Amino acid sequence: MTRNKNVEAFLPMTPAMFHVLIALADGEKHGYAILKEVARRTEDKVRLSAGTLYGNLARLESSGLIVESDARPAIGLDDERRRYYRLTDFGREVAVAEAERMDAALSQARAKKLFRKTRLA
Amino acid sequence: MAHFEPTSDLSLSQRIFRGLLRALPADFRANFGHEMEGVFAEQKREVETRGGALDFLKLWWETFLGIFRTAPREHWDILKQDCAYAARMLASSPGFAITAVLTLALGIGANTAIFSVVHSVLLRPLPYHDGQQLIFIRQQAQKVGIADIQFSAPEVNDYREQNRTLAGLVEYHGMSFTLFGHGEPERVSTGVVSANYFDMYGVKPLLGRTFEPADERTGAPPVLVLSYEYWKNNFGADAGIIGKTFELNDKVHTVIGVLPPVPQYPDENNVYMPTSACPFRSSPKMSENRDMRMMEVFGRLKPGVTLPQARADLATIAERLKSEYPKSYPQSIGYGATASPLQDELTRAAKPTLLVLLVAAAFVLLIACANVANLTLARMARRERELAVRTALGAGRSRLLRQLLTESFLLAFLAGVLGLAIAYGSLELLTQFAARLTPRAREIHIDAGVLLFTLGAALGTSIVFGTISALFARANLVSGLKEGSAGAGAGRSRNRMRSALIISQIAFSFMLLIGAGLMLRSLAKMQQVNPGFVPQRVLAMKITYNWAKYAGVEQYALAAKKLLARVEQEPGVLSAAVSSGYPLEPELISAGPESNFATFRVEGRLLQPGEAPPTTSTAAASPGYFRTLGIPLMVGREFADTDDHNALNVAIINQTMQRRLWPNENPLGKRVSYDDGKTWTTIVGVVGDVREFGLDRPPISETYVPVAQAGGMSTLILRTAADPEAIARRMREVVHEADAQTAITHEMTVEQAREESLVSPRLTATLLGLFAALALLIAAAGIGGIMALAVSQRVREIGIRMALGARPADVLRMVLGHGLVLTFLGVAIGAAGALALTRVAKSFLFEVTPTDPLTFTGVALVLLASALLASFLPARRAASIDPIVALRNE
Repeated sequence: MTRNKNVEAFLPMTPAMFHVLIALADGEKHGYAILKEVARRTEDKVRLSAGTLYGNLARLESSGLIVESDARPAIGLDDERRRYYRLTDFGREVAVAEAERMDAALSQARAKKLFRKTRLA
Repeated sequence: MAHFEPTSDLSLSQRIFRGLLRALPADFRANFGHEMEGVFAEQKREVETRGGALDFLKLWWETFLGIFRTAPREHWDILKQDCAYAARMLASSPGFAITAVLTLALGIGANTAIFSVVHSVLLRPLPYHDGQQLIFIRQQAQKVGIADIQFSAPEVNDYREQNRTLAGLVEYHGMSFTLFGHGEPERVSTGVVSANYFDMYGVKPLLGRTFEPADERTGAPPVLVLSYEYWKNNFGADAGIIGKTFELNDKVHTVIGVLPPVPQYPDENNVYMPTSACPFRSSPKMSENRDMRMMEVFGRLKPGVTLPQARADLATIAERLKSEYPKSYPQSIGYGATASPLQDELTRAAKPTLLVLLVAAAFVLLIACANVANLTLARMARRERELAVRTALGAGRSRLLRQLLTESFLLAFLAGVLGLAIAYGSLELLTQFAARLTPRAREIHIDAGVLLFTLGAALGTSIVFGTISALFARANLVSGLKEGSAGAGAGRSRNRMRSALIISQIAFSFMLLIGAGLMLRSLAKMQQVNPGFVPQRVLAMKITYNWAKYAGVEQYALAAKKLLARVEQEPGVLSAAVSSGYPLEPELISAGPESNFATFRVEGRLLQPGEAPPTTSTAAASPGYFRTLGIPLMVGREFADTDDHNALNVAIINQTMQRRLWPNENPLGKRVSYDDGKTWTTIVGVVGDVREFGLDRPPISETYVPVAQAGGMSTLILRTAADPEAIARRMREVVHEADAQTAITHEMTVEQAREESLVSPRLTATLLGLFAALALLIAAAGIGGIMALAVSQRVREIGIRMALGARPADVLRMVLGHGLVLTFLGVAIGAAGALALTRVAKSFLFEVTPTDPLTFTGVALVLLASALLASFLPARRAASIDPIVALRNE
């Protein structure tokens, strides 16, 4: 079983799933934090509800893209029912692969002069 | 896992959110539910601080959408996993899978097959326009016990004109006419109907048109409408049939239409003609005489009119007729009129039999369910550790139960598919069977409703046996791991459950076997019953003369004489007679004794006010009739050639009639009148009772009159020296030599007619027997299975017993005894059930009581023997256990 093949199986990703991975790229977060981060980064364009968020988390977790983290912030700062999620190496690999896929698509669009002036993604 | 706060402390929105979460799979909820509530609470807090009712609504909308988008995916994922897992589990124990699927398939198949009949015949609306508005109207003479009197033409007119509740009222009578010009003269069964007959039913012709009022006018050109079957079978579905002409009796008829395939009631006819075209119906004798009754009447309720309203309406008309025509409706007969839904009329004969079969099939399915539940329980014992390990590895309990239910549904689904195939395969046979009971048999097919039923049966089945096994899994999941073996304590309650299942299987099997046994016994009684005549080597030919050629009784008598003279000359013919019919004639059986009922007066006896006049069934016979059929003459004489239209009117009665009217007197020389004293008939003989209308129907009062005096000859009967069928062909020739324009409808040996009359009860008995045998097989396999399991669970115990001195015979006895105890309990419960159902059984039985001790004993013995046989193998294995090996292995 090669990892590459496994990675391919997750592409392309739904925007929600991709944004969850991106949100976890710079460190572990709990559910609500992920939701806030995604909303902030996408200027409220991708709004996750509790249902979609945890549907995605369950999927990502069962496929090994993320894991529940053991580390917790100091007691008092934290609500005990919160669980924290962390990107696995494989999850990072998948996120990168998806980003590359999107990048490639973007390059082609540029090559065809689809954009009038170059913009950053 | 974190604990939830009690619901009462939650805010409304939290409670609603928690409610929404229930749409998700239990596992998912257990894993993430708490967190999701937390996230939602924070989202809500945020919206509340920012304010804005619109934001609040938006949050709820997104939350709602999110959950209902996620839930189906999660459920589907689990279902896929479970199905794959279940398929692997079943594939790893093919013996179990195949047994379970086969057992259930037989149960589901039996139910689907019977249900497809019930659905098509009893449940679906009649295939006519607004079929539920159609009614069958009948006149009754309640005081003389006649529930169904036909109508005369004046009566039809009265009811048609005077009713206020019917949108239409039509008449019908069936005739046999002879069709010429197509080779041998052919008899065509003909429905003679009102012009608006088909319009009232809402039947649109397949080709051409149906009748119009102009067709029914006196002197209108004769026209015909063909039935779909006749058109298809005899004219190869010729599209150009319209406009063709047929010679029927004395007139040329033009075909104007072809009917679509619809059930025809009361008879399946070849052709239909309007009343004006029927020589009998249009004769003044028929059309003006109030007492010449030969028509059936059907009606359609006006929209919004209920059946009770129509009945009241009809009763009012009957009262009016009674006071207007006291001679036609004497007070003493209790004249009245009523109506019943046509649908009931069409299915009256089929309903009880079909319902009994449906219940029997349901029993088989229940037994199959119990059996598969038992198999599953036995398997659970083996899978206990697997399940316990999976629990320990974090599989939620509900998750495991869900998986078990998926497994059982997969089994039931496979069984459902196979069952459907079984049902499909048996449909043709069942249709033939149902055709004997109802004209709706042609409508039997498997449609979406039946498929739904099968799916429901499969689902119900899996829920029944899946729940049983899952419940016991739930109780024992934890103990399985703790004890680490096919545990004794946990197993005990399950063993009790298994015993209960076996007992219920035996009880249901017992009831089915009793049902089948009683039916078989009653069938045997019917076969043994003395029919009152000697059916062997008698041929009966239904013949129809060309009515047009023979105007009166004298000419018929002459024709009969001529025919009999020729027939009796033929080698191999011992004796011959003509008559109106013959005993156990299929049409006679379906028409019933009421079709030829007559009321009469006995000379010198006055009826008390309110006393009902005596009734009798009547038949016409030529002199050789009793001799030919072997009906014994008790006193007096048979008919003679001299009993013709010039002579005194004579009659021969049967013993039942003698007993009823002259129990202590000599009936010879007594006189009766059928027309209120206008003419008198002298009784010249008494013959033995004959079961004319069915072997299971007790003889009724019967009067025979000479063909030469009363006419009505439609049957040629001959007793032959050898096989009557060998001579049939020659007889057809002889009949045509005597009169080339005679149609021969059908020929049948009387023995065949007798067999034919038993086909329907025999089929019912066979189907019940089949179900019972199936049930017995399943139950026996169940007993065998449970005993084998019990033995394998008790190897150690048995080993110890044997080490302590028990002999193999003791062990054998112990195991067999265990099986017998279960069987006894099942038989006892089954017997109680069978006794509770005696009232239902009674109406199906002939000369057998529903509590027939012989059947009960026999069935109990059969069950006990089967149980013994089934437990013998495991018992022998137990007896051959080597105590040393058994103990060492533990």
